[in-house]
Amino acid sequence: MKKSFKGRPILAGNIEGEALVTKNGFNTYASFFTSIHLPSDKAICADSSNRELYGKNLAAKIICLPNTTGSTSGGAVWQRLVRMGNAPKAMLFSQKIDSLGAGGLVVADIWAGKRIYAVDQLGDDFLETVKEGDRLVIKEDGTVIIRD
Amino acid sequence: MINPDNFKIKLTKEEKDILQGSQGETMQKILETVVCYGEALGAEKLVAINGYGHFVITYAIPGIAPSMEMLANLAASGLKAKYPFTLDPKPPLDFENWFLTAEQVKTLEQMYEDQERYDEIMLELGLRDTDACTCTPYLPEVGNIPKREDILAWSESACAIFANSVLGARTNRTGAIMDLLTNIVGKTPLSGLLTDDGRRAAWLIKVETEQLPLPQLLGAAIGKKVLADVPFIAGLDTFLGPGLNENTRDYLHEMGAACATAGAVGLYHVQNITPEAVDYGTNLLVPNHKTYIIEDRELDELLSSYPIPWPKEDALPEKCFIGCPHLSLQQLHWWTEKITGALQKENRDQLPVKTTICAAPQVLRAFQADGGTYELLKRTGAKFSVGCPMQIFDNDLSSGEAIVTNSNKLRAYTTARFFPDEELVDIITSGKIKEEH
Repeated sequence: MKKSFKGRPILAGNIEGEALVTKNGFNTYASFFTSIHLPSDKAICADSSNRELYGKNLAAKIICLPNTTGSTSGGAVWQRLVRMGNAPKAMLFSQKIDSLGAGGLVVADIWAGKRIYAVDQLGDDFLETVKEGDRLVIKEDGTVIIRD
Repeated sequence: MINPDNFKIKLTKEEKDILQGSQGETMQKILETVVCYGEALGAEKLVAINGYGHFVITYAIPGIAPSMEMLANLAASGLKAKYPFTLDPKPPLDFENWFLTAEQVKTLEQMYEDQERYDEIMLELGLRDTDACTCTPYLPEVGNIPKREDILAWSESACAIFANSVLGARTNRTGAIMDLLTNIVGKTPLSGLLTDDGRRAAWLIKVETEQLPLPQLLGAAIGKKVLADVPFIAGLDTFLGPGLNENTRDYLHEMGAACATAGAVGLYHVQNITPEAVDYGTNLLVPNHKTYIIEDRELDELLSSYPIPWPKEDALPEKCFIGCPHLSLQQLHWWTEKITGALQKENRDQLPVKTTICAAPQVLRAFQADGGTYELLKRTGAKFSVGCPMQIFDNDLSSGEAIVTNSNKLRAYTTARFFPDEELVDIITSGKIKEEH
């Protein structure tokens, strides 16, 4: 059965993709520490503190997370990933987006010219329900559908 | 064409005009970025920044800096920050202080091939002076010390949390690039830690340890627990005493750096110590706040949970980096006393572990001017740098090396192994790690 959640579109659009999930904070700088320096079409998560994502390829995936954490250098990481072509497809926040995530994603959108779609305030229930590998449909009004 | 009426955020006439191009295309794009950022944060309006900036964007290497194309465009448009700014530490291009191989030097030179041009552009954009680069801009020798209730848009998580918590200024955790853009506009969204509500504490943290906990472990434990919330920390004044002094300042700057790394904490209050906690006490706690008790056992478990990130776990330590965040003058004296005392006990003159100690340029100059103590530490073979050890790990530059540190932030991002200060002194003066590790 399809499950649907309604959030607030931050960087809106209609897309589909595959979910990766972390229930802990997503440390942007630590996660992409290796992939921002070594050109690749992959973005292997380098944050050894994040047991759910460590070693997984984040490129072109939809990352489901509570919020971003860690160093403010993380703000610049998004535009670099977009320019390199190994950015995640979308970021789905269960909480209200944090200042670091918001700033970085907006800068990448306006200055690097390619959107990483973002929806926030999807709620704890969304993060409890969505599983790694789920096919997700994101609508421009902030609706997120977990497909069968 | 941007239609300012499409935004929910309240805009002034001047802001609307800029969005429609009254101050040129580049300024229009910058303000659009800041307004979209404000919309994402749910801000009611933009407010004026009224103090010097501090930004994380020191490095020319792609990934953690704005693109050169973007910076060149900003400078060519004649734009600069409304107030002068300080930056994070310079890249480690003072090769002689880092015990590097010829291959490592070559890689660093390639990574930072644009650094000279980058530094020039930063000066054009408003960098206070060429030496204004440290992660402790608020030390008296450096002198970027915000006043209470100043409105800022600071980045560098360790600096933002210190400005908010210890100095009582108001800044959100601004990300790299957005730091520069907001400070060029001279405005930042009124949201989060800029508001009275955003500065109230959702957690009561009770420190119930036998002794003063290691700041970089306590900070990590708190950050991991509260993530982005504001903690109100009780019990530290038992050890540190009330109010702020140099010891407490140094303790809090280390605790805050670890707290901001392990979570997304931008502000903490410490009962009877930090300015808002002194003024408002437990009234800063929101109703139905959560409580978390920290005992010694919990911190011991956290320390032992850190994996050994070296390829050969029983390797002898080769290098040591101290000063992330940068050391204060007082801390430089502490390390000198500890290191020289321990070397004497070991019957050695020189440190068997290649050690680099980092501090702000102005602090290092003051230390050198001190004469005797500086010479004592220098004679042990320790090197001094105004740079940042983090970049020694970029591009797998130090992979395979057995590096030790007292920085929990460095541990979190690199393959350096973390040890409490006193243990680190034993390690770098004996060349060995005790067996229980």
